[in-house]
Amino acid sequence: MTANLDGIGGSPNRVGGAARVTGGQAYVADIALDGVLHVKLVTVDAPRARILSVDAAPALEVPGVRLVMTPADLPDPMPRFGPQFRDRPLLAVGETKFHGDPVAAVAAETLDAAEEAVGRVAVAFEPLPAVFSIDAAQAADAPLVQDPALRPDDPFAGTNTLREHRYAWGDLEAAEAAADVVVEGTYEFPMVTQFAIEPHAFMAAPADDGITVWSSIQHPNWLQRVIASLLELPLAKVRVVAPDPGGAFGGKQHAKYEPLLAFMARRAGRPVRLVLTLEETFQAVRRGAARVHVRSGFQRDGHLAFRDIDAAYLIGAYADIADRTVAKGSYTSAGPYAIPAVRIRARSVLSHTVPSTAFRGFGNPQQIWAVESNMDEAARILGIDPVALRLQNLAQPGEPFIPGDTPADGRWAEAVERAARRIGWETPAQTGRGRGIAVGLKSGPTTGLSYSTVRLLADGSVVVYAGTSDMGQGARTIFAQIAARELGAPIEWVTVVMGDTIVVPYDQQTSASRSSVLMGNAILAACRDIQSKLRAMAARLEDVPEEGIEVDAGVVRLDGRELPIRDVLVRGLGRLGGEVIGVGESRKEAEPDHPLGGTAAFYEFNCTAVEVSVDETTGDVTVHRHVTVSDVGRALNAEQVRGQDEGAAIMGLGHTLMEEYIFDAEGRIRNLGAIDYKIPTTLDLPARLESEVIENGDGPGPYGAKGMSEGALLCVAPAVAAAVRDATGVVIRALPLSPERVWRALRERDAAGQASGASG
Amino acid sequence: MRPFSLKQPTSIADAVALLAKDPEARLLAGGTDLIIRLRDGTIRTRMVVDLKRVAELDGSIRAEGAGLAIGAKAAMTEIAAHPVVRDRYTALAEGALVVGSVQIRNRATLAGNICNASPAADTSPALLVFGAVVIATGAAGERRIPIDELFVRSGVTTLRPGEIVTGIEMPALPARAGSTHLRRTRRRGHDLASVTMACVVLESGETRLAFGSVGPRPLLRVDTSGTLADPAASEAARTTVLDGMLADASPSPGSMRASPEYRLAMLEVLALRAAAIARERLAAASPR
Amino acid sequence: MTAMDVPEAPAAVSLKLTVNGRDRSATIAPHRTLLDVLRADLGLIGTKECCLVGECGACTVLLDGRSVDSCLVLALEADGAEVVTVEGLARDGRLDPLQQAFLDHAAAQCGFCIPGQLVAARALLGSNPAPTRAEVEDGLAGNLCRCAGYEQIIEAVLDAAEREGPAGSAATRSRPAAAAPGHGATGTGLSDPASVPDARVAPQ
Repeated sequence: MTANLDGIGGSPNRVGGAARVTGGQAYVADIALDGVLHVKLVTVDAPRARILSVDAAPALEVPGVRLVMTPADLPDPMPRFGPQFRDRPLLAVGETKFHGDPVAAVAAETLDAAEEAVGRVAVAFEPLPAVFSIDAAQAADAPLVQDPALRPDDPFAGTNTLREHRYAWGDLEAAEAAADVVVEGTYEFPMVTQFAIEPHAFMAAPADDGITVWSSIQHPNWLQRVIASLLELPLAKVRVVAPDPGGAFGGKQHAKYEPLLAFMARRAGRPVRLVLTLEETFQAVRRGAARVHVRSGFQRDGHLAFRDIDAAYLIGAYADIADRTVAKGSYTSAGPYAIPAVRIRARSVLSHTVPSTAFRGFGNPQQIWAVESNMDEAARILGIDPVALRLQNLAQPGEPFIPGDTPADGRWAEAVERAARRIGWETPAQTGRGRGIAVGLKSGPTTGLSYSTVRLLADGSVVVYAGTSDMGQGARTIFAQIAARELGAPIEWVTVVMGDTIVVPYDQQTSASRSSVLMGNAILAACRDIQSKLRAMAARLEDVPEEGIEVDAGVVRLDGRELPIRDVLVRGLGRLGGEVIGVGESRKEAEPDHPLGGTAAFYEFNCTAVEVSVDETTGDVTVHRHVTVSDVGRALNAEQVRGQDEGAAIMGLGHTLMEEYIFDAEGRIRNLGAIDYKIPTTLDLPARLESEVIENGDGPGPYGAKGMSEGALLCVAPAVAAAVRDATGVVIRALPLSPERVWRALRERDAAGQASGASG
Repeated sequence: MRPFSLKQPTSIADAVALLAKDPEARLLAGGTDLIIRLRDGTIRTRMVVDLKRVAELDGSIRAEGAGLAIGAKAAMTEIAAHPVVRDRYTALAEGALVVGSVQIRNRATLAGNICNASPAADTSPALLVFGAVVIATGAAGERRIPIDELFVRSGVTTLRPGEIVTGIEMPALPARAGSTHLRRTRRRGHDLASVTMACVVLESGETRLAFGSVGPRPLLRVDTSGTLADPAASEAARTTVLDGMLADASPSPGSMRASPEYRLAMLEVLALRAAAIARERLAAASPR
Repeated sequence: MTAMDVPEAPAAVSLKLTVNGRDRSATIAPHRTLLDVLRADLGLIGTKECCLVGECGACTVLLDGRSVDSCLVLALEADGAEVVTVEGLARDGRLDPLQQAFLDHAAAQCGFCIPGQLVAARALLGSNPAPTRAEVEDGLAGNLCRCAGYEQIIEAVLDAAEREGPAGSAATRSRPAAAAPGHGATGTGLSDPASVPDARVAPQ
């Protein structure tokens, strides 16, 4: 009988879904370790402070306290880590650099004892001048966030500019001279935080000659390297257990407090556990804020002549991966357009604030906010329809729109046309409503390395080992789908093993929407490896040359016949049984001469169109319709793709309408926690949210897939602002478009109207 | 959370005695304010007294003459669902509904909301416009406190140490009335109010407006001119009356939820809307 | 400061309650919350900890039939009460229709908010077996999700209501069902999860 199970594109239920709906899913905070000590961090109430002394003695008197870790208990010089700069200390020594920068850590038998002890650690400190804004950080006499000695050969070392990135092509001067219309403006993007519903959780326990670390980490192998290096252990003696994170969005990519816990576990000789409070997560991770100046030149007919961007990102006190977000976010920020002359300059600026890190979109949303708003303003000034202006300038498939990089890899116009059609762009909106449209582009990974091992067991069931982190995007399911299809097993017969470096082969990281492509291809390669072994088996069994045998999707074809894989497998394994093991590797090599270290594996492209109404007396923006269309190559699991796109869309509405950190004059975050930092709820949804995908099979991943899941967030803000402009005439260049901000813009409009004598 | 002992008295007398013994003790009703503050340390106590097992207290909502008696244990869910509250004290039902999510409403009591005395409490404006009376019992016996005499400032009421709220009375209203509750928040989802307001328009033409989150305590103002109740009055006339009623609003400049300028502007916007809705509801109300 | 300055903790108290139909007991410090006791003492890790201020709903449980944020309930307040957590939704090993609907509608992404969503939805359907979409939105407004656009969660609840409630109950939806075109399944066909594999071949 022919088994023709074509599992791609449909929506088999999520693998691992049952655990999620029964409460059986164990996140890091759910794992109980015998003898675990509970850890709480000790911080000082200052954005930057000189630490004069740390006295742990009073804290040690609290019953149940077993260890108070201070810099005195750590190597000297203080070990430092960080994916871009090794600037982050295990504990602040000498100086704290942001509110929430820990100076000590308590480990106790109970959380209550740890909390009691935290209040008793006597820290003598002296507040120091600190900077929390781009202007303050860049002022001539600004206090330096980072010790210049950490980057001795860097011309920026004596400033708070960590790096400056410059990308350019074409002849900007000539293009400026030739342009008919120049449109420019400065845009601000606020500080926002990931707010995954699972707060970061970490544990560490000494193991025989090494250490085991549990973390809600997106990059288990990367963390393994960091721990191994800091503890001076071989990789094989560092085990990282990475259960599925309860949402991550980039905020769990890189080591935060795992290194500290590793030292504490070693010191205490017992397991230690740290689960951050939600408030502490706001002090641990955020997105870079940005100020972006865009100047674009157009011909009167709408063709883009040039684009000149100057951006400053306010990153935090430690670099984490923040500068990389600036580099990547800037590289493509001119947009998915064919523009003859471009100049982009972007700076990452250190500040005494929460270290910013990766966050869905990775530096792109900030500049897309500016550039797409600029496009909308240009459309208005030129008198050209905003959809037409995009279509006119979009790079064509195969066009090298960024010289030296991957050409446009999709029929992007299709996404724009689909979104426009879906929202009914051609028919006028109802009275009182406005519409806006925007596009967003982001590069996928520029380098990558994923290994997978796949085992085809004797009864035809399958085990897949894949080091990807399934943080909700459904990686486990699509990996199971791929293996199921290639090896002819029903998806219920596939087990996917993830999240344990002692068992699962190397995966570089889970980020940049890469895993469908990179790990997907590795799994595909491993399955092909198995298929070639099955070919050899079939050749031997059927006494037929291998070249004439084809193995595809669970079927072995030879001699004009079709045999199910299992048939060949069982006979081929013979009396001793066993299994067939396949190994697959998917690699995207670094290109050292490339400004980003590598070309884009693929692009994520999205078009978002919204329809809003604005209550002009209160400033409330109501989103009536939100259409999001992403170019995904192939939706490997349609419902999961939908879930990710809609989730990204709503997350984008968050920073568009309601999210921002609010600071006091001393750099304290005033709205820590869920009472005053608001994210969208079921009551904040667009009246109609619609997501669609463009599938042209033109991606480098399995079955023509591209990566997805960041695209639908990228251009929400400019689409909504454009719709607000369409409805009211006001142009707003800062986010969020809170009722009060919109109200102020409307009152300014009214005042200007009165001043100019305009009626009505 | 810092440790404390929990007492669960079964009588008012026992509860009052516990409070007398430890003046720092805190009363626990629904817990939706207290537990948060015990956890963040803004309230510290060695003893929490849970009122939920006190036999004399209940969550009933029952007719009392032509008015309504609301038990101290009545939670927002019951209040918002009660047909008499919805029909006759509509602003109170609407205020109870926006206090928070269904999980919060299932626990938060009206009595607790009153005692917590947040200037932004969403039930306070309605209680003020309806002239609610708070019944409290202490060592000195029972007192009846008109709600407008209860609020002092954030977290502070005129309740004496050791007094426990045992009920809230909603007085009978004149024959026909229309009321509404409105508020401003930062999103449509649950949020603390940056302006919270109730308005009742009576058949006599009297209009009562109460508003909170624009000063240390919610304020009640009454217009007897009939202007706000008059469907034919001009917006200019209404605005003049409202300017007088809203004059004592003093929103805090330090608030992160909204600026004073925005709050004052929204106060006027909401007041005009609230009066209009109340007028319409009055017109639609059937005689009692 | 000496050990004498650390205030002595009040004595532990006995707690007895019914959780998911079973009698449970623990001896606990009085200041502990129901959330903490469920997770740490009773081993029921399905209910989650997130905001701890009653905003996110990740800790939602049923307390005497009502949905509450268990982070704001002292465990002793539940003495003698009946508590239902996500682990108590399935009966006799069979998933509750809500749980099945969540699976079928891909409502769970990272899954962390899902126990709270399920319990809140169970409470909603308990008092309102045929909710409108707006009523579902209101009933789940106290349950934050950061992964989803909430659509699939809402659709799952409406679908479960239909499956459970009287036939033809009028739950209105404002969007097409998951499998309709427009949600992108333009690729190869649906795999049939119910398809039976070729006869299981026993290993030698």
